[in-house]
Amino acid sequence: MDISERLNVPSTGEEIEPFLEVTPQLVQQRRSQGRIIFDRFIRNRAAIVGAIFLILLFLFCFVGPLVTTHNQPDQIHVTDVAQTLAGPSWQFPFGTDDTGRDMMARAMAGGQVSLLIALISMFMAVIVGVSIGAFAGFYGGIIDTLLMRFTDVILSVPLYLLLFVLSASFTDGSPKSVILLISFFGWQYAARLVRGEFLSLREREYVLAARTIGAKGFRIMFRHILPNAAGPIIVNATLLIGVNIILESVMSYFGFGIKPPNSSWGTLVSDGQGFFDVDPLLLMVPALLIFFTVLSVNLVGDGLRDALDPYMTER
Amino acid sequence: MAETLVGSKTLLDIRDLKMYFPLTRGIVLQRVIGYVRAVDGISFTIEQGQTLGLVGESGSGKTTIGRTIVRLYKPTEGQIIFDNQDLAQMGGEHLREIRRRVQMVFQDPFASLNPRFTIGSLIAEPMHIYNIGSSSEIREKTSELLSVVGLRPEYINRYPHEFSGGQRQRIAVARALSINPEFIVLDEPVSALDVSVRAQVLNLLQRLQNQFNLTYLFVSHDLSVVRHVADRIAVMYLGRIVELADRDELYAAPKHPYTQALLSSIPIPDPQIEKRRHRIILSGDLPSSINIPSGCRFHTRCPMAQQICREVDPIFERKEGREHYAACHFSEEVRPV
Repeated sequence: MDISERLNVPSTGEEIEPFLEVTPQLVQQRRSQGRIIFDRFIRNRAAIVGAIFLILLFLFCFVGPLVTTHNQPDQIHVTDVAQTLAGPSWQFPFGTDDTGRDMMARAMAGGQVSLLIALISMFMAVIVGVSIGAFAGFYGGIIDTLLMRFTDVILSVPLYLLLFVLSASFTDGSPKSVILLISFFGWQYAARLVRGEFLSLREREYVLAARTIGAKGFRIMFRHILPNAAGPIIVNATLLIGVNIILESVMSYFGFGIKPPNSSWGTLVSDGQGFFDVDPLLLMVPALLIFFTVLSVNLVGDGLRDALDPYMTER
Repeated sequence: MAETLVGSKTLLDIRDLKMYFPLTRGIVLQRVIGYVRAVDGISFTIEQGQTLGLVGESGSGKTTIGRTIVRLYKPTEGQIIFDNQDLAQMGGEHLREIRRRVQMVFQDPFASLNPRFTIGSLIAEPMHIYNIGSSSEIREKTSELLSVVGLRPEYINRYPHEFSGGQRQRIAVARALSINPEFIVLDEPVSALDVSVRAQVLNLLQRLQNQFNLTYLFVSHDLSVVRHVADRIAVMYLGRIVELADRDELYAAPKHPYTQALLSSIPIPDPQIEKRRHRIILSGDLPSSINIPSGCRFHTRCPMAQQICREVDPIFERKEGREHYAACHFSEEVRPV
């Protein structure tokens, strides 16, 4: 306080200083914002169950093939026809399929494809959606009208119809083409959401304050407004993963998405459905994996929604 | 400091400033159906090192004036001459350069500090934007600014939500000071604060004014606060200045019935006097700034209104006394409170 004393400052705020160190409630306030959000998240039991399941699932799909022997999804392990369509055994925990391939290895490999497609298309859709929404909401006027009517047009077309029509001509059955297609249908809700956030946040005083200190459009949009809109965007992105997994599975199930030699959970369901009366496991394994993944993603999304409460109340 | 002692230099000269906000109807084809005349032809000057207090009730346009001067809004008409340059029509890089010298402190310190920034980065941001010095120099200046406004430099990595209202407002002041402005618009800087910390912030502002030779436009609705800080006071009513005078003269000899009514509303902390004194209580509300009354704007609520007031808009002209201006047909009849 040297400078201030020389300037004859009344030692403002200093009298409350000691309490900061001794009052537990105030010490608690020293938690960083990230910590507050994390604490709030782990108190939500459903979200934690979802998060743990997702972590296990990622380990299963991406680390599983490396540490177990179930790493040859295309290898025909049993040639004896009597041994195909086998039930669970120590050698093949999920059994074998009609041609004698290891179902566990196939579930892992399919999961890699499904999860990667869902994640990457989520990221692409969020980047596109945030950019479009940010420009529309921040600049308003004619830019807003053009961008948002374009968004509405895409939203107004029946999704699956367009997806199937487009996939016939624009995808070649590789994960890359499916990612592009799915992300093209994912950004609209993010764009709307971000536009709404920007519309309301750009009138906040701290944004006006940023203008008065000479900040330009991009700085205001991406440094001042976007971090404050992060909560809804993160929640939306999480839920989008679930939507993307479903979309990919539906496309692959109908034969428009992933095609051999690649496989995903969707193609596994499609392959397995013909043997439902003989070996229901072939259908149930990928279907349950899809079901629990989407469920967990949604639980985590809801948990994040609560944890990222913008009012930052201490709980 | 010497400069101001020798002669007064006009730093800010507002000439016939108008700020109209269009009212539109329609979703696709927007038609303008009228204007909110928030600021409707205002002129005043502020001399370097002085404080002009701008008072008026809610909706009188005082905040709009402040925001127009820092060019958050583009004025509809008129000139904002700051140091011989007209800000009103300026844009782009030029405006950015000028903005460095004109800063603003907002009313609500709970809304004007971005909750995602640490206070260090809040204060440092203007310096980063204008590329003043290296990162280490900026860091040093930031902690220096914190101590100038009476906060510990160790707080640099804390977030705004960890501070009280008064502390936050001091952070906002430090931020405005960081690029060495000459002129600061203070938009009700203490009205969101507890009475107990108001004096702290006001004294800080006055100390900084002396220290850095700052010029203030102090917007407020609180006459007792303005009396404490302002050299000259402008009273606004419905988008116009109705009276402008030196502080003591305005309090001693108001020339406009609105000022008189405002002064009579200041509570006196003595129940004996309070009981005996005559209060002028204005009836009704501030008229809408979309449909402004004809003649004198104040005639709908004025206790002294005559026929002429309904018909003729009084000129804002010089009255008796030192640099005393008012817009009233009957300013001689206004009695001090």
